[in-house]
Amino acid sequence: MTILRRTVLAASALPLLRAGALAQSGRTYRVGLVSIGPPESGILSPGMIQNFAKRGYVEGRNIEFERRAAQGKPERLAGFIDELVAKPVDVIVTSSYPAAAAAKERGGKIPIVVINSGDPVATGLAASLAHPGGNVTGVSEIATELSAKRLALLKEAVPSVKAVAVLWNADDFGMTLRYQAAEVEAKRAAMLIVPLGVHAPDDFDTAFSEMTKQPPDAILMVTDILTILNRKRVIDFAREHRLPAIYEYARLVRDGGLMSYGPDEAGIADRAAGLVDRILKGANPADLPLELPSRFQLAVNLQTAKTLDLAIPESILVRADDVVE
Amino acid sequence: MSAPDAPLANRPRRPLFQKYLAALFIAVVVPLLANGISEAWFGYRDQRVMLGHRLRSEAQSAAGKIQGFLDDITDQLRWTVQLPWREGTDEQHRFDVLRLMSQAPAVVDVVLIDGSGHERLHVSRVNPDIVNSGADHSQDPAVIGARASRLWYGPVTLYGGSEPHLTIAVAGPRAANGVTLAVINLKLIWDVISSIHVGQSGDAFVLDSAGRLVAHPDISLVLRGDDDPAAARLKDLQQAMTAAGEETTEGVNAEHRPVIAAMAPIPGPGWAAFVEEPATEAFAPIRAALWRTGLLLLLGAVFAAGLGYLLARRMVGPIRLLGQGAERIGAGRFDQKIEIATGDELQDLAHRFNEMAVELALSQERSERIARLKRFLAPQVAELVEGSDQERLLDSHRAEVVVIFCDLRGFTSFAGRAGAEEVMGLVQEYYEALGGIITRYEATLTCFMGDGLMLLLNAPVPCPAPALRGVQMAVEMQAAMQSVVSSWRGRGHEIGFAKGPATVGRIGYEGRSDYTAIGNVVNLASRICAAAADGQILIDQAAAAEIGDAYPLTPLGTRPLRGFAEAVPVFSVAASSPAGAVLHAAL
Repeated sequence: MTILRRTVLAASALPLLRAGALAQSGRTYRVGLVSIGPPESGILSPGMIQNFAKRGYVEGRNIEFERRAAQGKPERLAGFIDELVAKPVDVIVTSSYPAAAAAKERGGKIPIVVINSGDPVATGLAASLAHPGGNVTGVSEIATELSAKRLALLKEAVPSVKAVAVLWNADDFGMTLRYQAAEVEAKRAAMLIVPLGVHAPDDFDTAFSEMTKQPPDAILMVTDILTILNRKRVIDFAREHRLPAIYEYARLVRDGGLMSYGPDEAGIADRAAGLVDRILKGANPADLPLELPSRFQLAVNLQTAKTLDLAIPESILVRADDVVE
Repeated sequence: MSAPDAPLANRPRRPLFQKYLAALFIAVVVPLLANGISEAWFGYRDQRVMLGHRLRSEAQSAAGKIQGFLDDITDQLRWTVQLPWREGTDEQHRFDVLRLMSQAPAVVDVVLIDGSGHERLHVSRVNPDIVNSGADHSQDPAVIGARASRLWYGPVTLYGGSEPHLTIAVAGPRAANGVTLAVINLKLIWDVISSIHVGQSGDAFVLDSAGRLVAHPDISLVLRGDDDPAAARLKDLQQAMTAAGEETTEGVNAEHRPVIAAMAPIPGPGWAAFVEEPATEAFAPIRAALWRTGLLLLLGAVFAAGLGYLLARRMVGPIRLLGQGAERIGAGRFDQKIEIATGDELQDLAHRFNEMAVELALSQERSERIARLKRFLAPQVAELVEGSDQERLLDSHRAEVVVIFCDLRGFTSFAGRAGAEEVMGLVQEYYEALGGIITRYEATLTCFMGDGLMLLLNAPVPCPAPALRGVQMAVEMQAAMQSVVSSWRGRGHEIGFAKGPATVGRIGYEGRSDYTAIGNVVNLASRICAAAADGQILIDQAAAAEIGDAYPLTPLGTRPLRGFAEAVPVFSVAASSPAGAVLHAAL
């Protein structure tokens, strides 16, 4: 925690130096922010704007943002990218693989900073971590492996768990990989996986009725835009049916989920803003290495645990970074 | 040589003013320059040494911070090897690890190995925990190293060819406590390295023993892996420093900017911390000091030039005035004084010049007066008159004078016949023959009349027995005339004189004045002269009465003279008589 606090301090000291230099350049930059998710969240949230502000970019003075939220409809992304190209924007920041792929396909030479897009090297968006080589850089994910870790943490938090229902967007190859990682871990840990692949919001009702018919011991929700948009229903269902559940991001725990484990979202967004800053200052995205998340957060909601009559063991609490009491 | 060039030729080729100016300027500027340059040089050296010290201490501080980062982690790791592996301590060990990982975010992977070298626990931030896998690590160099020295730092490895990681192994105080292996994500050193600021815009970075970039404020440089040209430049800096055997060096940093860099070892992992400061910034105080010195030197030079100019002018100005004064004196203008009020020797000198001018003016005035007197007085008489403040002798007064007339007989008709040169030659010869005699007898010459002249005795300077003196002079004149007259085809020369009262004094106008006598005696002498025959000397009765027996005279009876109603008694002087010769010798 002490090191974390030091980071925040160091990061807040830097922008003061930079703001002066930027104010003099007199140029207004234009940055496109394209998310597959809802408006006002992720890279479209005020937190992201704050990440720019602390680097000396003040909206309306020397930077303009073009915000585009696909609200779970990937087919809208191509149109968004075309709009940004027409502006044009200096940099496109994308969240989710479909957004990144659309920007890569239609964005021409405009630099692209990607987050939440899986492993850009594996998906061919970039040549390597150290030398992306094209116009795409950003923060890579190691979320596939993390599915197994989540399953293990769930088991540790609630040792009685045997059968785990996995909710994931079966249309998304990346998400399917995460599901498969969980399957492998379940085998190793002698657990049972109940696969509940969904394709559309309507599928959640089917999944819920499945779980009602044959209740699992717990839920693992693989997080993508489809599941994010329906998180409320999942969290509510888990509470109603007194099912412990694990998610990927801390914000779902703050929304009432029992626990989550995943990379620090705020840290990733901050690094993305850092890369945009470098590009606006003239760096070539081909030379800006893709970064890996370096901090992971374990979040636990003790209120939810209480409603579930669960006693979260000390071995979980000792490593929890975020505890909602 | 044409006229306009003349002043140039007179102007000194190396004026005093320039010499003084140069001397004074050099006298001030040379010590100033010597002082300025030596101070700049020593200042530069001191600053350079100080810069080196400062950067080295910054490097040491940076090394300390990096080592501190690693030491924090190592200290946490040591908790995990405090307890020996016994039955029932597994949970305790596990909690140690979990606590460690929540405390040290840079630790991404921990493996606990028991005393026998077998893996007991593997906790990862990414993968599920693995308990009691029993994998044999006893031959792992990390384990061997940690057992040998309780702490072992592995080489830096790049995860995915990009993110640097370091393995640290610590061993417990007893072999039974086992060994803990921890993988550290070195990207998190960024927090430390980016908080180090050297000077205004300098920063720090870390290279491992192989020269690989481990930490840099620009995280992208670190993540670019092994074959990055920017990182290679930093490696070059390290090699330059190692080659020179020094702890500071000048070179270019990753961004190709010239920097001055210092190095300090990070002893644990065998890395080196470097600090770099842009050369422009590092040398700014030195440059400022040099500018300051240069400006002071310039001001000093201007001051010296001004001072030199003023002093040289003060010194040369009076000398010029003296020169101008001397020029005026040379030109005969004594009226203007030389005005110098410097209060020093030059003022004395000017004073002496002024005195000299006064003396010169007086002297010139006197010599002019003497020259004027010499026109009618014998030189010695003239000197006497001028020097003795008896100039009033020249004032008009009545005196008993002897007036002597000499005349060349038939000169007028000769002048009509003869050529001009012959006439002037004769006149010249005539006056030269008589001049010496006139001077010797101190007779006063009143005027030349072409073929004759008029002399006065007893005026303006009185003399004893003027008539006798007149006779003696006349005799000598006639003797001298023999040679002249013989060459002059037998014409005659007669002398006549008379003694009597006359008004004597200077007559004439400003700058042109003669001394003369006016009175009956003058007419008488003139007429007597006219009555004389060739070679004869005739005198009147008054003169004869004065001479008496002193000189043999022959009374010639009375003679009618033009202008005189009655005949006048006339006496002839025996020319060239033996007695005359005796008298002449006695004179």
